[in-house]
Amino acid sequence: MTAGDAHARARWARRGDIALRVVAAVPLGYATASLWAMAIARLLPGDRAEASVTAALIALALCAIAAMWAFAARSGWQAIWTLAIAAGIAAAIAWISIDATGRL
Amino acid sequence: MSKGFRQSQAFLHTWSGLLLGWILFLVFVAGTIAFWREGLNRWMRPEIARVEQPMRVLAGSQAFLTGKAPDAKSWIIPVATERSPGAQVFWVPQPKPGEERGRRGRRGRGDTQALIGADGQVAQARETRGGEFFYRFHFDLHYMPVIWARWLVGFATMMMLVAIVSGIVTHKKIFRDFFTLRRAKGQRSWLDGHNATAVLALPFHLMITYTGLVTLMAMLMPWAVVANYADQKTVFATLFPTAAAVERTGRPAPLVDLRRIAADAERRLGAPASFIEVSDPADAAARVSVSQSASSMLSSRTPRLTYDGVTGRLVWRSPPPGAAAETAGAMIGLHAGRFAEDGGRWLYFLCGIAGTLMVASGLVLWTVKRRERLPDPSRPHFGFRLVERLNVAVIGGFPLAIACFFWANRLLPVTLGARADWEIHVLFIAWAIAAVTAFVVRPARVWPALFATTGVLLVALPVYDVVATERGLFASLAIGDLMIAGIGATIVVFGLAFLLLARRVARHRPAAKHVRNPRAVTASKVLEPAE
Repeated sequence: MTAGDAHARARWARRGDIALRVVAAVPLGYATASLWAMAIARLLPGDRAEASVTAALIALALCAIAAMWAFAARSGWQAIWTLAIAAGIAAAIAWISIDATGRL
Repeated sequence: MSKGFRQSQAFLHTWSGLLLGWILFLVFVAGTIAFWREGLNRWMRPEIARVEQPMRVLAGSQAFLTGKAPDAKSWIIPVATERSPGAQVFWVPQPKPGEERGRRGRRGRGDTQALIGADGQVAQARETRGGEFFYRFHFDLHYMPVIWARWLVGFATMMMLVAIVSGIVTHKKIFRDFFTLRRAKGQRSWLDGHNATAVLALPFHLMITYTGLVTLMAMLMPWAVVANYADQKTVFATLFPTAAAVERTGRPAPLVDLRRIAADAERRLGAPASFIEVSDPADAAARVSVSQSASSMLSSRTPRLTYDGVTGRLVWRSPPPGAAAETAGAMIGLHAGRFAEDGGRWLYFLCGIAGTLMVASGLVLWTVKRRERLPDPSRPHFGFRLVERLNVAVIGGFPLAIACFFWANRLLPVTLGARADWEIHVLFIAWAIAAVTAFVVRPARVWPALFATTGVLLVALPVYDVVATERGLFASLAIGDLMIAGIGATIVVFGLAFLLLARRVARHRPAAKHVRNPRAVTASKVLEPAE
């Protein structure tokens, strides 16, 4: 294997890594923020409309934080699985809560 | 913060800023201009007299609508102020059986609205969108469905938020660099300029970006509502309460004098009124709703009062919003800046310019940084050429298009059909020509040509106003109309700035290429430390 091949392989590996991070940052990041918006809206006490507005305000910041994390993570795969776990936790909270007490 | 983290954020900063940077530039320019939208609404109708007695306009609006659309489903009447060109009233016709409710689209807009001037009569003014164009373009863009435009702008805004926060993280010497401005040093100067405009107005940039997302929150992040409500209508009824609807009776009854209602509402609210909405105007079940002016408070969720349209009795008062709704309302209010008086508007305007320059210098910096590292600078790769040309087309072309829009406002014949639309078509035609030129001719020639043309067009505009209209700079100053005079003067200042910029760019000779260590080039190609 020549040095040129190794260089080209490293370049493709880097591109694949960036593609994974973009997937983690944009669709997955939005999904994670949205699921946390649902979880927070369920967890906050008091008036439902107020809880929803507060959760949406927080979720906008979560979108940006998720995108930053997607690029700060050690690898693209790490970005994907960490965000997927975060999304899963939020989904579980929202689902259990809605199942238990229902929506308005 | 670790070096790895900062480097990863530098990469993110570069690309999140670049990819939709051109849209952000347009949004920044239009939003910045839109802070003067009331002023431009008047400036673009130079034949209209200034409103001295708002109540006269209101009485005129009521008289006009009573004659024109007595059976309308509703009337919407903005309360004129000294800042407005009058009252742009519009009415929603009764839905015909089988027709969809209301008629809100672009079609038929002309025949369901009218501008009532200072004397209470329908104003004889050129047809124009005025400053409203910039306001709508800021989030609706143009020639595309509104919903797509808002998602695009919303997505670009999120990229902006990411670019700002990652930019701060990247920036380890934020204060020292702010006081550093190395002139005529090529890339260093661009970087310093980008840093200065970014850091100077950093609180503004963060505020305007986040609150901008909040204005689109219901569309971008509906999931928090979905989690609590099976039907989204319920939450809207809670967040934006209105008086209980009443059935149309079919019995005609004269409508109360709206001036009386407005005066009563202003007394109760302790603040000016901005919008009056009348439902079923000539019916016994008529209702009149009055909203408090957004100029009187920070929050955009202004209180509303509803009156019985026949007796003039107060029947409903909006409850105070909850803390979270009030917070969101305050954020939207902070974004739009309607509460700000002239001084505050100037601050918003200058910060908006700083934001525009930040985006523009960031876009240019991307090419400046890469030019020296190109393997063969005479034949750059496709991505580089695309970014370089798009920069010329957007940063150089869009201001020129706006100058042409202003000229179209002055020169298009008043009798032209769909004149308001044609003003906007002129803007996009001029921009298209500039963009094509940018892709055909060498950037080093197009930059100064576009800047110089923009400068000449802008400087000539107030001169034309002095010669050809009755609302020139001196005439406006003479009657104390500082808003119109201020817009004329600002346009001259911008024109001169563009001319200086053109001269500067035309004289610019890129520094002699020094051959860099090729290994250092490949190493630094991987990540983009923006320091």
